[in-house]
Amino acid sequence: MNHLDNAFLLVGFLEIAMVIFMQWEVYITNIIKTFSISSYLIALLFLIVGFINKENYILILAALTALTRGLIIPFYLRRILRKDKWRARETSPLVGISSSILISLLITVMGYLLYSLTLSNYINSNLGPIPITLMMQGMFLIISRSSTFTQLIGYLVMENAMYMFGYIFPELPFIVEAGIVLDLLGVVMISGAIIRLREDVIKNGSEEYTELKG
Amino acid sequence: MEYIYLLPVLFSAIGSLLCILPFLKFEEDISVIVAIGALATSIYILFLPNYTTDFFYIDGLSKIFLVMTSAIYLAAVIFSIYYIDHIQNKLFQSHFYFFLLNTFVLTMLFTVILNNLGLIWVAVEATTVTSALLISTENDESTIEATWRYVIIVSVGLIISLIAVIFIYSSFKTLSFADILKQHSYERITYFGAVLGIIGFGTKAGIFPMHTWLPDAHGKAPSPISAVFSAVLLPVALFAIERILQAVPDNGVKVFAFTLGLLSIALAAFMSFNQVYYKRMFAYSSIDNMGIALIGLSLGGYAFVGSILIILAHAFAKSATFFLTGNVLINYESWKIDDVKGISKTLPATGYSLFFGSLAVTGTPPFGTFLGELLILISIFNTYGVMITLLTGLFLAMAFIGINYQTLRMVFSEPNIEKRKENYIVIIPIINLLLALAVTFASPLIYNILFNGVWK
Repeated sequence: MNHLDNAFLLVGFLEIAMVIFMQWEVYITNIIKTFSISSYLIALLFLIVGFINKENYILILAALTALTRGLIIPFYLRRILRKDKWRARETSPLVGISSSILISLLITVMGYLLYSLTLSNYINSNLGPIPITLMMQGMFLIISRSSTFTQLIGYLVMENAMYMFGYIFPELPFIVEAGIVLDLLGVVMISGAIIRLREDVIKNGSEEYTELKG
Repeated sequence: MEYIYLLPVLFSAIGSLLCILPFLKFEEDISVIVAIGALATSIYILFLPNYTTDFFYIDGLSKIFLVMTSAIYLAAVIFSIYYIDHIQNKLFQSHFYFFLLNTFVLTMLFTVILNNLGLIWVAVEATTVTSALLISTENDESTIEATWRYVIIVSVGLIISLIAVIFIYSSFKTLSFADILKQHSYERITYFGAVLGIIGFGTKAGIFPMHTWLPDAHGKAPSPISAVFSAVLLPVALFAIERILQAVPDNGVKVFAFTLGLLSIALAAFMSFNQVYYKRMFAYSSIDNMGIALIGLSLGGYAFVGSILIILAHAFAKSATFFLTGNVLINYESWKIDDVKGISKTLPATGYSLFFGSLAVTGTPPFGTFLGELLILISIFNTYGVMITLLTGLFLAMAFIGINYQTLRMVFSEPNIEKRKENYIVIIPIINLLLALAVTFASPLIYNILFNGVWK
């Protein structure tokens, strides 16, 4: 295992630890801050990879990651949050705090098992469990919370996991990669608009929608 | 000459650029003009040979999708002009609505001409960004909840298909569709990628198990938007699945796609019986049609032609049905099936058209959907035997009974409001229904375009 793989492992473990932290954090500002740090970490990983392999293209990708996911998106989300302060704390998560910590630890174990039992036959790398676990954690964050902010962060964690996948596999062509970044920004902007609207009309988060049943 | 292939996309791009300017007050006229331009150039492209460059790959399938998308685009723009005045508590002004509609169609027209699986992914994800706010045009609680579910579920689903794109790239070392078609050796990860791609893009196409956003979004969006969603957006996602099936023509992948298609029509069959809201009911009918179309795509050959016939006929018939439900909603002011009685007496043209529209989307002869389902059922019989064919037929029949029974209850019963004056706009759904009928008679032509690439 070379130094880059070690750096990848280190960043990967920190990422997973940060998602588990998000699971039991109820203050949304802290979740957003944690997400911002985790994005900077991924950008740092890309920066190291780009320097060591001398690939300018990965350096650009690192800059884009830091700029969009480390800086702009968290800033944008916190600006929305500042307008309705009462929303800053998740009051009614669908899965209780203690059980969600337990479940996210289980997911980590499951991600490893899933990878070593099935996917390792397809993929020639022993780094695979990290992005898979991270992706499942992101998915669980979406399922377990009812706050739109946390659900959006869960989606962004999944996106980060995709970028970690990019380390194991050959990087996609730059035009595709740039398109993905643009799309991601679009999704966040649209979500921000919808979050604003949702906060205006729904004051308690979890309502019954008879018109959306069946 | 090559630029002519890009004209439909260019027209909608011009439309969206002009509509975003708030000082121009002609957004409706501009949208109609660019939609006519897009339709005319799409039809003209039918007569041109196939075209491949590094960026664009335009074959018979792309041409049919271009014509279908721009035809529905024109109908939806015209119907929107009538409908938008009846939307209460609008989220944004009319010029922004038309800007979003034009941009939404732009992304879909772009998806079907690309020669790069990665860029197809980018374009499909871009349809989410451009269409989300359109759902919440009518600004109320459940509409915004439906929009949020759409954004989060579809985005998560598309992440899955992004993994598929990465896997496919790592095994072929290219994403260019034309180059992938030339390769015939596959690694195991290729199949895995193809399966993930079907699940991921299936989210957007309303395929089981990631279909849950679809009834919410279709049920709560304004009628012209529901029409575009059901008629064009879902098929465009199926188009991406078809590209993956063409790139990885493996039997296991096809069986997987077949299974998901069968589960989708089973779900639609059971759900169509207990629907309370009529737009949701027709949304389940979309899941039904997309399921059977996916089955056809997985089988290939004649069933592939059957799928395209269903997609085309369903596009025209379902857009007509959603336009008509919009008219029903304006007059009855209720979303519920039980509150809508005797449309055939209060709004005769709407009522009878809705009745025929409901028959058309459930695959009744002589509409194009029937011919398509017939071709697919024959192909299922040849591939999987009699039991699976009967099962598929049973699910289709259940959806047929469920949806048409509810429509009959709405159309032919004692009216609960007085007779209304019919608006001239009802001519648009009637034309679309006639086009759904015309698909049957155009089937040899469609076959020719699909396999030879040119209208001959």
